[in-house]
Amino acid sequence: MTRRGVLVPIVLVVGIIALAYASLAIGSFDAAPSNVLAALQGGDDRFTVVRLRLPRMVLAVLVGACLGIAGTIFQTLLSNPLASPDLIGVSQGASAAAVGAILLGGLSGAAVSLLAFTGAVAVALLITLLSWRHGISSYRFVLIGIGIAFVVQAFLGYLLTRADVRDAQAALVWLVGSIGTPRWDEIAVTALLAALLVVALVSLAPKLRMLQLGDDTATGLGVAVTRSRILLTLVAVGFAAVAVAVAGPVLFVAFVAGPIAKRVTRSSGAALVVSALVGCVVVLAADFLGQRAIADVRVPVGVVTSLVGAPYLLWMLARDNRSRGSL
Amino acid sequence: MTTHELRADAVTVGFDEREVLHGLDLSVPDGRITVIVGPNACGKSTLLRTLARLLRPSAGEVTLDGMPLRGYPGKKLATSIGLLPQQPIAPDGITVEDLVTRGRYPRQGLFGQRTIADVIAVQAALIATDTADLASRRVEELSGGQRQRVWIAMALAQETDILLLDEPTTYLDVTHQIEVLDLLVELNHRAGTTIVMVLHDLNLAARYADHMVVMAEGRIVAEGAPAEVVTAETVRQAFALESLVVADPVSGSPMVVPMGRFHTA
Repeated sequence: MTRRGVLVPIVLVVGIIALAYASLAIGSFDAAPSNVLAALQGGDDRFTVVRLRLPRMVLAVLVGACLGIAGTIFQTLLSNPLASPDLIGVSQGASAAAVGAILLGGLSGAAVSLLAFTGAVAVALLITLLSWRHGISSYRFVLIGIGIAFVVQAFLGYLLTRADVRDAQAALVWLVGSIGTPRWDEIAVTALLAALLVVALVSLAPKLRMLQLGDDTATGLGVAVTRSRILLTLVAVGFAAVAVAVAGPVLFVAFVAGPIAKRVTRSSGAALVVSALVGCVVVLAADFLGQRAIADVRVPVGVVTSLVGAPYLLWMLARDNRSRGSL
Repeated sequence: MTTHELRADAVTVGFDEREVLHGLDLSVPDGRITVIVGPNACGKSTLLRTLARLLRPSAGEVTLDGMPLRGYPGKKLATSIGLLPQQPIAPDGITVEDLVTRGRYPRQGLFGQRTIADVIAVQAALIATDTADLASRRVEELSGGQRQRVWIAMALAQETDILLLDEPTTYLDVTHQIEVLDLLVELNHRAGTTIVMVLHDLNLAARYADHMVVMAEGRIVAEGAPAEVVTAETVRQAFALESLVVADPVSGSPMVVPMGRFHTA
């Protein structure tokens, strides 16, 4: 472990705590610093701080961590920085299934989340089947995924045009990625699912590191390549789906977290923990800005992440074109 | 060092409809250096990849110590057979030490925790390949020869009794080709590691092999000590090339001097 490897997570955790604290304290009603801690223990500003702001902040942290991990797994597994769930159709699959459930089935709550997960898995399965040729080929997987993202997007558009205006409005708010004020049972389910996925990931992480060396070398080192790839894909899809199910497709978080983590740690490995922390920082900061940057205007978190993420994508493409000639 | 018996029995391997190896038999001599040669597309890489369980035969079986490779758990097999593929991939920004340490994967627990044995094996591998000075360097900054030594170091850290290498000297200039092959001989002499490799250069193959396997069109056309195997007749049969075979003035091993339309003996 390098010094950077220890320092970076500490700095990120401090940043998360600072942002979390700011999210609780600052808003249309500012709680005095001392009152925030008092409120958490049942003091004066309890309603604003604990009822309205705390669940939102906790969910932002969870969503950020899940998206950060999902993105890094995909990007590492497919050795392609474009292979993020929000670019290869996995998030869109979750969205389409969830929106379909809201608009066509009139469902809500856990049923929507379950369908979102099913939609994400279905898209991942479809990409796998279409790109399969003696195993999973990374390049084909990404290209086919990007294609499928558009197809699913078209289907989503169709659903929205067919829907009642008020239903469509509700679906749209969800579709741009918004955190709102979640109920504690929603947060508990999200946290539980994320925890289960983390348990699954712990034993898969070393395999992911070996797969970075290419399938041949990984096989030579004793990794069951196809099985590991499928399991890792499922876990990554799971993380993405958990986040999307509860907050909608908060775009570009999964996409930027991994590369930022890699850059700050200067490591080659899939910096899973650091990516999760970067994801937390991005979502917390984006939600904080969206809620408070412009007085009396509330911008959904997904709009902010897209505003920041899209230029990053352009910058990355431009930089890679200059330095390496291709992605 | 334990003795091993790695063999292919009536192995048939194909891609889609095309059959590449046709019921091939091979017994790898334990503790020796075996070199597989043959013209392009003769199936030599396919044979090596089948021995390394990267390809599964459609008929026949590759066995280690009497048991089919597919019967072994992956990590267990990876403590006996190591592999250096033709074009291994180094992740962006990886350091030499990190890469070599990954060779320890089959000997690590479920969560990849590192032990003293891992640290020792990695240092030994770095020293054996003369890459200890490069430990903290990034792999992408290294020259081709250094990079190949680092990959061999990773395979050494795996501490296997058998090491399979697919064209380990490709893309290297002649100096580094010799350097890499000498390193493998040293490894074979010192640790008794069984080495099987595919080489393109017939003369280097004849010089470095204890056991030579000449392939053509998915079959073994000749097999044995280089002095017996490398003859003008075998070269004609496998490569469809007229040649003169003389003794290598340096090593005494057979040396193939090719002829062509404008140069004949």
